[in-house]
Order: sequence, then C-alpha cells, then structure tokens
Amino acid sequence: MKLAGLKSIENAHDESVWTATWVPATESRSALLLTGSLDETVKLWKPDDLILHHTNSGHCLGVVSVAAHPSGHFAASASLDSFVRVFDVDTNNTISTLEAPPSEVWQMCFDPKGTILAVAGGGSASVKLWDTATWTLVATLSIPRPEAPKPSDKNSSKKFVLSVAWSPDGKRVACGSMDGTISVFDVGRAKFLHHLEGHFMPVRTLAYSPTDPHLLFSASDDAHVHMYDAEGKTLIGAMSGHASWVLSLDVSPNGAAIATGSSDRTVRLWDIGMRAAVQTMTNHTDQVWGVTFGPAGGPGRLASVSDDKSISLYDYS
Amino acid sequence: MACVYIPVQNSEEEVRVALDQLPRDASDILDILKAEQAPLDLWLIIAREYFKQGKLEQFRQILEEGSSPGQLLLAKGEVEQASAAFKIVLDGDRDNVPALLGQACVQFNRGRYSDSLELYKRALQVYPNCPAAVRLGIGLCRYKLGQYDKSRQAFQRALQANPENVEALVALAIMDLNTHEATGIRKGMEKMQRAFEIYPYCAMALNYLANHFFFTGQHFVVEQLTETALAVSNHGPTKSHSYYNLARSYHSKGDYEKAGLYYMASVKEVNKPREFVFPYYGLGQVQLKLGDLKSALANFEKVLEVYPDNSETLKLGQTEKAQEFMRKATKIDPRDAQAFLDLGELLISSDPVAALDSLKTARTLLKKGGEGIPIEVLNNLGVLHFERGEFELAQQTFREALGDGIWLAFIDGKENSPPVDACASVLRYKDMHLFQHLQKEGRVVDLPWSKVTALFNMARLLEQLHNTETASTLYCLILFKYPDYIDAYLRFAAIAKARNNLQLSIELVNDALKVNPKCPKALSMLGDLELKNDDWVKAKETLRAASEATEGKDSYDTLSLGNWNYFAAVRNEKRNPKLEATHLEKAKELYTKVLAQHSANLYAANGAGVVFAEKGHFDVSKDIFTQVQEAASGNIFVQTPDVWINLAHVYFAQGNFALAVKMYQNCLRKFFYNTDSQILLYLARTHYEAEQWQDCKKTLLRAIHLAPSNYALRFDAGVVMQKFSALTLQKEKRTADEVRLTVSELGNAVRVFKQLSASAASNLHFYGFDEKKIDTHVEYCKHLLEAARVHLKNAEHEEQKNRHKQEALRQMALAEEARRKAEEQRKFQLERRMREDELKQVRQQEEHFERIKEQWKSSTSSKRRDRSEIDDEEGGNSEKRRRKGGKRRKKDKHSRSRYETEDVEAEIMDDQEELEDENAKINYREPSGQINDQDDYAEENAHDPLAAAGLEDSDAEDEVAPESTASRRRRAWSESDDDEQLDRQPEPGEIRENYPDMPGSDGGKLDEEGAINDDE
Repeated sequence: MKLAGLKSIENAHDESVWTATWVPATESRSALLLTGSLDETVKLWKPDDLILHHTNSGHCLGVVSVAAHPSGHFAASASLDSFVRVFDVDTNNTISTLEAPPSEVWQMCFDPKGTILAVAGGGSASVKLWDTATWTLVATLSIPRPEAPKPSDKNSSKKFVLSVAWSPDGKRVACGSMDGTISVFDVGRAKFLHHLEGHFMPVRTLAYSPTDPHLLFSASDDAHVHMYDAEGKTLIGAMSGHASWVLSLDVSPNGAAIATGSSDRTVRLWDIGMRAAVQTMTNHTDQVWGVTFGPAGGPGRLASVSDDKSISLYDYS
Repeated sequence: MACVYIPVQNSEEEVRVALDQLPRDASDILDILKAEQAPLDLWLIIAREYFKQGKLEQFRQILEEGSSPGQLLLAKGEVEQASAAFKIVLDGDRDNVPALLGQACVQFNRGRYSDSLELYKRALQVYPNCPAAVRLGIGLCRYKLGQYDKSRQAFQRALQANPENVEALVALAIMDLNTHEATGIRKGMEKMQRAFEIYPYCAMALNYLANHFFFTGQHFVVEQLTETALAVSNHGPTKSHSYYNLARSYHSKGDYEKAGLYYMASVKEVNKPREFVFPYYGLGQVQLKLGDLKSALANFEKVLEVYPDNSETLKLGQTEKAQEFMRKATKIDPRDAQAFLDLGELLISSDPVAALDSLKTARTLLKKGGEGIPIEVLNNLGVLHFERGEFELAQQTFREALGDGIWLAFIDGKENSPPVDACASVLRYKDMHLFQHLQKEGRVVDLPWSKVTALFNMARLLEQLHNTETASTLYCLILFKYPDYIDAYLRFAAIAKARNNLQLSIELVNDALKVNPKCPKALSMLGDLELKNDDWVKAKETLRAASEATEGKDSYDTLSLGNWNYFAAVRNEKRNPKLEATHLEKAKELYTKVLAQHSANLYAANGAGVVFAEKGHFDVSKDIFTQVQEAASGNIFVQTPDVWINLAHVYFAQGNFALAVKMYQNCLRKFFYNTDSQILLYLARTHYEAEQWQDCKKTLLRAIHLAPSNYALRFDAGVVMQKFSALTLQKEKRTADEVRLTVSELGNAVRVFKQLSASAASNLHFYGFDEKKIDTHVEYCKHLLEAARVHLKNAEHEEQKNRHKQEALRQMALAEEARRKAEEQRKFQLERRMREDELKQVRQQEEHFERIKEQWKSSTSSKRRDRSEIDDEEGGNSEKRRRKGGKRRKKDKHSRSRYETEDVEAEIMDDQEELEDENAKINYREPSGQINDQDDYAEENAHDPLAAAGLEDSDAEDEVAPESTASRRRRAWSESDDDEQLDRQPEPGEIRENYPDMPGSDGGKLDEEGAINDDE
C-alpha cells in the first residue's frame, strides 16, 4: 500500500482547518470533500483538483466537526458555539439546527444506514442520537459515572466525551473521553455495555473497521494508536511512532490500512496486518487535525487537513 | 623397622604403616592412601617398598592409582622427588605406564607442556585403554600450548570415556566461556552446572559459577559458592580466585573493609602478580577508597607492571598523561587497534567527538584484522552516535553489538504482544506473558548479561525515535531475565508517566525500590509522580529521602526541593506574604546551593531566575534566562521549554508584548508541537494586554480546541468578546460594520456565558465558577447587546443619513460636473468658432495673399509656416490654463464637503457623549458584582491554576479598580508563574530520565562488562 501526493491547496481556509470528511457521490455529481475551519466557514471541494465548489458561512467560533450523510445529499457541521447545522449539500439550504444544552458538540457521525446522527456531547458525558427524518433527539447514551465520587474529586469532568464512532453493522456506538477510556453502547437497547481501557490521555478520534464490526481503532494524545476487539473487550495491539498527539484517524474502505494525522505534523499510513507504519507524509507544516479516506467504490483517495490552513489530497493504492 | 605415618585428613591423628608388613593385597593400603589423600611421597615410599620386595603387581597398582594429575597437584611440593622416582622406573622400563603418567604430570607442573604431552601420548600408545586422566592430561597440555581445537577433542574423549568426569567437564566449560559468545557462554554455564551437580566440591567449577553470579548480581549466591570453594581447595591459585570473587562481591556492595581483607587474602595466595593480577587492582581501588593512597599506588604499579597499557589504571589521577601516552601510541603504530580503543575510552567523558573518531578507527582496524569487535566498544560507539543525534548510525551500531537473538524479532516487529483484556490493561506492560508464550513455543528467550547494556541503550534509542511500544517490550525482556535491573524499571516507569498512566508508573518505581530501597533515582521519580498526583506532603518526604540517600551530593533532589518550596510559595491559597517570603527564600537558598556545587546547572540557574523575577528584578532574571537558553541549545537531552516561557514572561511583564508573543509562539512550536493549551493561554493574555482582541480570541479558541474540557478557557473567550465589544462601543469613531461585528460578538459571548452558567449547576464547581458571577456576565453582555443594538440602529441610521447626504452631494457634484461640462463645451465651441474665424481670416488673408502673390509672382513660404506654428502654441497654452481653472473649482468643492462632514461629526460626537455616559453607568454597575466575586473566584481558582483569572483580573481592573499597573502586572506575573511552575516541575524529572541514564549506561556499564569491576 502506498500514498502518492496528488494536490495541495495552501491557504484553503483563512485559518486552521480542523475537520474534513467526504460527501458520497449522488446521481447528479461526484463525491466532494467537506472541510471546516476556525475561520467559521465550511467549504466543499471538487476532487481531484480541489476546486472550491461552495463556501458556507454562518458558523460562530470555529467549525470543529463535519459529517456527511451516506446518501450524499445532506451533511452536518458543528462549531464551538455548540450548534449543529444540517444542510443540503447541493443547495446549501439549512435543513435543521440542532442543540442540546448544556451539552457541547464534538465529533459527529451518521450511522451506516443514515437514520441516526450520533454527536459526542462533551461535558454532558454522553452521546446524543438524533433522528435524521424528524431531527429530534431520540436518545442520550450516558456514560455511567463512577459511584459516589469524592467531593474533592476534580476529575469528574474526566468522562468528557470527544469522539464517537458507529460499528459498520450499526449496532454499536463507541465514544472516547478526555481520560482515555472508550465506552461501548448497544444502540438498539440504548444501553452502556463496557469500557475499553489502555489510554490515559484524551481519545480524539475513534473509527471502526468497515469490514470487521468488532475491530475498533482509537487515536490518543499519548501518541499511540490502539486496536481493540470492541466486543471481546481486548486490546489487540498498540502502535507507536508518532512523536506527539494522534489527532485524527481513518480506516481505508478495504479495511487493510489506517491513516493517522498527528500534532507532529505528519500523516502516517499503517498496515494493519503488520501493525507497522509503512509510510510517513511530511508535507504539512503544522498539526494535522483531519484525515479521511474517499468513499468506497470511488478511486482510492485520502485527504488531510491541518492547522497550516492547507488541504492535501493523496492517491491511495 | 621403618614405618610411615599417613596423616588422617582434617585431624591430628596418623595411621602407622610398617613397611615390612605391607599387606599382600595393595588395595587395602590404596584405600587408606586415597581416603586420607596422602602426600605423594608416601605413595612413592610404599610403591618403592613393594618394588623392593619384588611385588611388581602391587607396585604397579599403587603407582597407577597414585599418578593421576589430581594427586600430583595435591603433592605439589614433592615434584622434584617424584620426578626422580619416575625417572628411575622409566629407566628400567621405558613403557611403564604409571611412571609415564607421573612424569607427564611432573613436566606439566614444571610448565614443560610439550614434554608432558609427549609422555602422555606415549602412555596412550602403550596402553590404549588407559583411564580418562590421560586424555585429560593431553587436553590440558594442548590447551596450554594453544591448540584449542585438539584440546577440546581430548576433553570430549575423556568425557566419552567417563561422562561424569568433572575435570573434563570443567575444562570444556572454561573453553566455552572463553569464546565470549552468547551461545558459548550459555553452553559453558550449563556444563559448569552439570559438573557442580556431579561433584559439588570442585573448586574450579565453584569459582566459575560464582563469577557468573557476580555478573548477574546475585551476591548471596556468590558468597555461598566461594566459601564452599575455599573449604574444599588448598590449591593456591584456586583459593586466590575464590578470595577475589568474594572480595569483588563485597566491593560492589560497597563494603570496602571486607572487600579489602579478601583482596588481601587473594593477593597472599598469588606468588607472582603476573599469574593473577586482578586482586591487586581491586585492592588498589579499595585502598584508594579508604584513603590509603600509598598502598593503592604500590598495587596499581604492580598492575602496570603486568599491563603496562592498562588505561583504567592510568586514568586514576593522571587521565591526561594517559591520553597523551595513548595518542603517542596510536601515532607510533597507526594500526594498533587496541591503542585506539583505549584512547577512545579515555576520551569519552572529555571529548566525545575525538572519542568517536578513535573508536571508529579501532573498529575499522579490527575488522581489517578479521577480529571480532567487543560488544562494549560497539555499545560505546552507539552511545556516542546517539548523543550526537545520529540515530540511524546509533541503531546500526547497537544492532551490530547485539548480534542475533530473540530481540531482533521485537525490534523488527515480527513478534507482537498477544491481545490482553482491555479492562485490565493498566498492568499490561508488567506482563511477561509474551516471553513465557514464546518459550512455550520452543523459542529460546535468552539474553546474555554482556548484551544487556546494549539492549537497554537500543531501547532508549527506540524511545527517542518514538517507537515506545518496542522499547517497552525490550525493557520487559531485560526485566524478565534480570529482575534486578533498576534502570529498566525506571525507563519503563517514565514511558508510563509520559502516557499519563500514573498508576503503572508508581507501581514500577516501587518495584525498583524493592530492589534497592535507597535508589535515589527511583526516589526522585517517585517524588515527581507524587507531585503530579497532587500529593504534596508525600512528595516532600520522598524528595527528602532521595536527598538523604545521596547525602546531599546529588543536586537533582536539592533542586526538586527548591522547586517544591517555590511551588509552595506561589501556590499558597491565602497568599500569606510571610509564608511566601520564607518559601521563596528557602527556594533561593536551595537553588544557590546547587549552583555552588555545579555552577553549570541549568535548572538551578533557571530556578534562581524565577525567584528573581518573582521579586521583581526582571533585568537580572532576563539575563539569567537568556544565558540558560543559550546554554541549553545544542544538547538533544536537555530540553528547557520553561526557560523560553520564563523569558517570555519577563518580556510580558516588561510590557514588550511583541517579543513575548514571538517567544511564546516559538516555544510552542519548538517544544510542544503547538499542543500546549497553557502556553496558548499565556499567549492569549499577552494579546489581551496588547489589545489585539481578534488574535486573543482566536488563540483562546485554539486552546479550547486543544483542551475541550477546560471551561476556564471558554469563560476567557467570553470575557474577551465582552471586552472587545464594550471597547468598540466606546470608540469615538466606529463604522456600522464594526458595530455589526460587535453585536454578533456579544451574541456569542452571551451564548458562551449562558452555556457555562447552565453547566455550572451540574459539574463545573471545581473550576471555581460561580453561577451568580456568570449570570452577571450574561446580564452585562445582554445589556451591552441591547445598547449595541441601539447603537447599531443609530449607526445604521447614521450610515443611511450619510448615504443620503453623500447621494445629495453626489447629485450636486454631478450637476456641477454637468454644468462644468456644458461650460467647457460652450467654451470649446466658442474657441472653435474663434479658431474657425481666425482660420477663415487666415484663409481670407491667404487667399488675399495668394491673390497678391499671383499678382506679385513671388513668395516667402517660410514666413507663413512660422506664423501658423505660433498659432498652435497659443492654442496649447490656453488649453492648459483652462485645466488649471477646473482644478481650482474642484478644490472649492472639497472644502465645502469637508465642512459638511464636520457637521456630521459634531452630531456623532453628541451621540458619543451620550453613549459614554451610558457606558459609564454600565461600568459602575457591572463591576460592583464582579469585584466582590473576584476574591472568591481567585480563591476557588487557586487550586486550579489555569488562570482564567489572568484575564479576568486585568479585565476587571481595567474597567473598574484603578489599581496600579505595576501591581497588576506583578499579580498577573505571579499567577502565570503559578501555572508555569506546573509545567516546570516535571521538567527536572526529564533530565533525570534522560540524562544520567545515558552516561551511566556508557560509563558505568562498561566497567561491569570488563573483567575489572570499577565501582567508582
């Protein structure tokens, strides 16, 4: 497996680019790359030349997360002011604005069928599930708090939820917290199942393998990537190599590789079979906040976005 | 009648044997001789008596039995006599086997190995079924003659003849050990062990076993073995070796008195230093330690006699001379690898670059000569590369040093740790599962002691290359094989600490302390961890213990205590000035103490700088920080981000915001990969003071993005937006756009505060947030928002009015323009008409002239041309004049419009005054609530030093209390340092983790590997 640089756009945004995802192709157009930035805009880009397709403004305080519906018709963007805006990708009409105060909004993820949007709820120590037909809050998956916390315990915010991921069969939601624990939920019964331990620093990104509903990857500030059997509660392996926080992670559509972006300014490609980094890209000059593989079925693509305001597109083969 | 007395072993009694009454059956007497290990002369006397009596069978029996090398050795003193006796026999019968053997033994002991070998060979030819002893003798002779392969064969044959032959086993084992290869050493040790099992009283085997256990650090076993060896042997060299082992064991434990005694005993057993020189060296070292310099010198001189080039010896006191000597040696013979090696080792501590060069040369020479390169040399080379940041080369070198082994599977990532329960994974790294699993699979999980250092360094290198997973596995492997290896525990703990796994880290340090409860390194680390865990009292005790363990000689712990005091000074919630002063004074004292001992200690200097800054001597502290920063650059193991931060703080406190910003930014980038939200907070505060509101807000948003659960940052962001908006509204001149921006910022601020207030009820009390206070902010922002809306309306109204006016003006200008154009047109027409008239006139004149010309039939055309040119010129001039006129008119228009603008401005000014009144009102009302909260807030906030207050304070003061700037800065400073100290605190730990390890492993470890133990 190999990455080859295709195109880089310097100053793609006016400020740090914090998040990116691919919007799947529809009947009328090809797949698009969706990026969000501290400059309070969300931009849509046409591959492979990364031609600016549209700019959405209206967010306040920086866009922290974007998610695309599997149909490719609509997408959601969330900002530091804790609003989620759901919009039509082609017309940019706002479909709905979601908020669940006092819960903040961090990573977001549509379930594989596209019926539910899962939102990492920050300090509320929960994942909020929104119905994508009615845009109403259908469930709150709360992490159970340790019993009888000491009054002096400063760490009750430890279960601050940062990241969220759906298993490919849509039955499980996993969420990662500031204290490094990962919690797994049974969506059907809206029930907490168990914790996965091993990290002791924030887990910024979670991703399930698209081919194995048990295999979960986590990216943490401890510079490690962990590989869990989320059902069997086992830590299968840990991969080190990044020099600083691992901020972002994505699994390739065939499930054979993962890509990670780190504060050490690099993008790494890992062979899951070998559990080793096979390639390191050093084209970014600041923290890499987002990496995302192109949708299955399309050409092998990987995009990365960074604090250096740039977007890079690679060919993955 | 003549009698002989056979002494009974271990007693004063003797057995009397009358020579004329020797029993017919020689085996009776043989039993006695053997049992009491009678001296050889008795055997000979008895044998001779049988010979005299013509009982040849018995004579042969006794000599055969009595002539094994073991017996001869026991009877060392009577060698000459024995030789004479054997000679008599051999003269009579050339092929008398027992005599041949006896004589061979004699020759062996005389050092005439080839003669001895000949005799043994003859014995073997005459009597091919001779006892194993003959083979053994052959083997020993060949060994002494350097024919190792043949000697090995001989020993092996002896062993075939009798698998229980201890001597042969021991001999083979020694040969295996001398190969200095992992597999050889392992085989050798196995044989030794077998020999020990067969016959637990073989002194030689005991000594070698003791030697092995000394290197693995099992001192108790060493003592047991050597004591047994001493009890069973009275052979001088063997005893000497045993005493030496015992002495070494005590030496390494630090018991110099006992070590000295045993070295002395060992030396006494040695006839000539040449035979066994090590105890002299050890004795010298111990005497040096005990202050007996003269004796030490004498002993070292003896060592030098034997090893004139022993650099270890020369190093004592005269390193430079030695270096010079070695340099000369390398010049005299540029192909002497050993000289280069020694030179390299000498230079390591003083001149790493030169050391690297000479070690490299040595390596090349050794390679050329086809010789193996000692592991320790490769290890040193690797460390030197490592220290110079040449990681690739270092890795190659360590790999070469390590050779083949199980570790390669880990380094190359071929073996991965098996899956573990993710609920119990806290202790995952202590799991030796992996190795046990591999062993079960039949893989050899082995690690020779000689390679441990290189493996440890390899793991350190992998850590540096961020491959912490593999590094952990290697440390684990070391601990699996050598559970007493403290450094591996500590590095392991450091890895866990870096990953914030404090529980595991503390556990590992405690494991290390189980090995050595007074290990200062482990204690320091424990103190550090306890500080991190916010366990103040415990931490102080641990650090004290660490300091005591080193008898105050180790500056690290003094430094830590200094930090502790400083920490305590600025941390004190109540800010008791007296207490603060005492703590500061104590901190300064401790830093100075360290500086007095080690004037180049960066960390102490940094600490002193902080104390100076704390006392307001910014210039002094700035100088100190700058120097420290310069000194710290250039060493990969010294990372001092805190110096940068401190420098930035000083710039900030001195009001040099631009430089402070640059400093913070560089520091963030250089040391933290831009991930430290705390420094971002400092940066934001600097922007705030510099009134760069947008930068400040962006910086805070970045910080929130990095540390999402830090609600203080959100609060700060809210305050910045509030402040920015309030200031914009107070501005004398502002555009509608600005006001519009203000309105949206205020909207954000309200949202941020509202969210905080909503969360405050549930789980934010520990941030020191007070619902009421946040509500006050919400109210204030809302109020501002309302005001801003009014202003916006006004501004928009104004803008519209302006637009109307401008429109009117534009219309007027247009009209004017039209008028002007019409005028111009008119003028133009007029001129044209005039010109046409002129032309007409000219033409008329011309015609007239033509007519006259025709009439006169002569002409002057040149004149005519001149005339027309002049006309043209006049036309151009008039054009210019007209343009000037146009300009003048424009100016007039301008001045008029300026008067108009002034009118407009006057109106705005009126508005402004009103507005300012309004603002003032707000200002008076709002802070009253804020200021009261302020103190509570500070107090609550104190234990969470993420100084939201840093911003909050200055905000409140800016708006309200006319506190002096100086004191405000000072406060901001000290608060910031509070935080900064948090950063700084673990920093010396970092040196600890990084720095002493490497030199330790290259200097100290080397010695352990060499035959000579230097416990310096």
